[in-house]
Amino acid sequence: MKTPARRLLPALVASALLTACASNPNNPYDPYEPFNRKVYGFNSALDRNVVKPVAEGYRAVTPSPVRTGISNFYANLKDFYSLFNNTLRAEPEKALNDLMRFTLNSTFGLFGLIDIATPAGLADNKTTLGDTFASWGWKQSNYLVLPFFGPSTVRDGSGLGLSFSMPGPEQLVYHNTPEAAAFYGLYGVSQRERLLGLEKQLDEASLDAYTFTRDAYMQMRAKEVGTTLPKDSDEEDIDIDDLVGDDASAPAAQVAPAKP
Amino acid sequence: MKKYLIAALVLFGLCTPALATDTPQSLIQDTSAQVLDMLKKEDGKNTAKVRGQVEALVIPKFDFTRMTALAVGRGWRDATPEQKQALTREFQTMLVRTYSGTMTRFKNAQIDVKPNVLLNNEGREATVRSEVVVPSSKDNKPVAIDYVLYKTAAGWKVFNVSVEGASLVTVYRNQFGDEIRKGGIDGLIRALQDKNAKLTRGAA
Repeated sequence: MKTPARRLLPALVASALLTACASNPNNPYDPYEPFNRKVYGFNSALDRNVVKPVAEGYRAVTPSPVRTGISNFYANLKDFYSLFNNTLRAEPEKALNDLMRFTLNSTFGLFGLIDIATPAGLADNKTTLGDTFASWGWKQSNYLVLPFFGPSTVRDGSGLGLSFSMPGPEQLVYHNTPEAAAFYGLYGVSQRERLLGLEKQLDEASLDAYTFTRDAYMQMRAKEVGTTLPKDSDEEDIDIDDLVGDDASAPAAQVAPAKP
Repeated sequence: MKKYLIAALVLFGLCTPALATDTPQSLIQDTSAQVLDMLKKEDGKNTAKVRGQVEALVIPKFDFTRMTALAVGRGWRDATPEQKQALTREFQTMLVRTYSGTMTRFKNAQIDVKPNVLLNNEGREATVRSEVVVPSSKDNKPVAIDYVLYKTAAGWKVFNVSVEGASLVTVYRNQFGDEIRKGGIDGLIRALQDKNAKLTRGAA
């Protein structure tokens, strides 16, 4: 299954986006760090000035059931892509599951506004084109921050780009560019609303929010596709027993409980 | 015969609970249940008190020295005992501050601790898996939380926690490495102190 696409796609994306960037050898899975940091900065500024305030307004004016309906509507369209991807991955059971979810939610669930498939026992196992590439053998992929979308990898970003270029059920919803912009704008705001508050927590928990986000995302994604991240040559195989040695039994430092 | 039976009953009766609290799985199970009970008493006014109770219960179950060593990685070897102590103190303060602020969100959570524990390193290391569902979250999707414990003289201690495969400890290794490259171990200690001072100011 090592298709030409597998060799072609990363090359395409890499050459289109990244040839101008000097590579930074610091991190084995983030060679495009200077470029990624720029996009990260762009996304953060956009979020601070536009997306976050809009998402807060959206939360203030819409009742929770409406927001759930909107979020379900987009999730239902993703089930359609998941059906396609699970077919490509030769996962007939999951594909059938997705087909039933999409059918049930699009009809009895009023065009996807109500998710009746999950309570009916049909698992939500959304699969993206990036997951499909991973199951075809493209497990390791470098970190890539996409404008608007945020953390991704070269593999997942290529998958997303291809999915956008494919005809799908969302093209029944919009017919021209302004309608498409409204469609994706609402999607972005709906997604962002669910993550309100996360940016503050991220800022509190990290010394460097960029590195924290990257490492957490890459660890999570590696687990999802069933691989481990490449390590720095000098970080290989740290044995914790060896590292701690005889101070293993040292008592935990005393810390006064945090005052709210 | 009867005597043996009674002896066996007594032995089991006495030993089972003692043993039960000493397996990694039951440690996580019991602690989670106790934390949920404490959180249920939170009513918006006593948040600080509940937070204090949960911290007093949970903190002793962790080995923060080992956690800090794991987060720092190779640099740990070059640190003096004083530096190790300072690093542990600051990292512990930061972790407790960050994560105890989020605990009230788990008030109505359901925690399912998996019975099959993964043993490693000749039985001295154990990974306990659990799934947490927070009913208020939109899609009610269970979140996988794994705990890595090791056996000490004082029982099992947690030294690594991962959420959906991302470790809350090793996620700091690259950030710590950057600080050590810039200003040595002392530079990292300073960076953590600054961070904690900022968090204290923010909370006040």
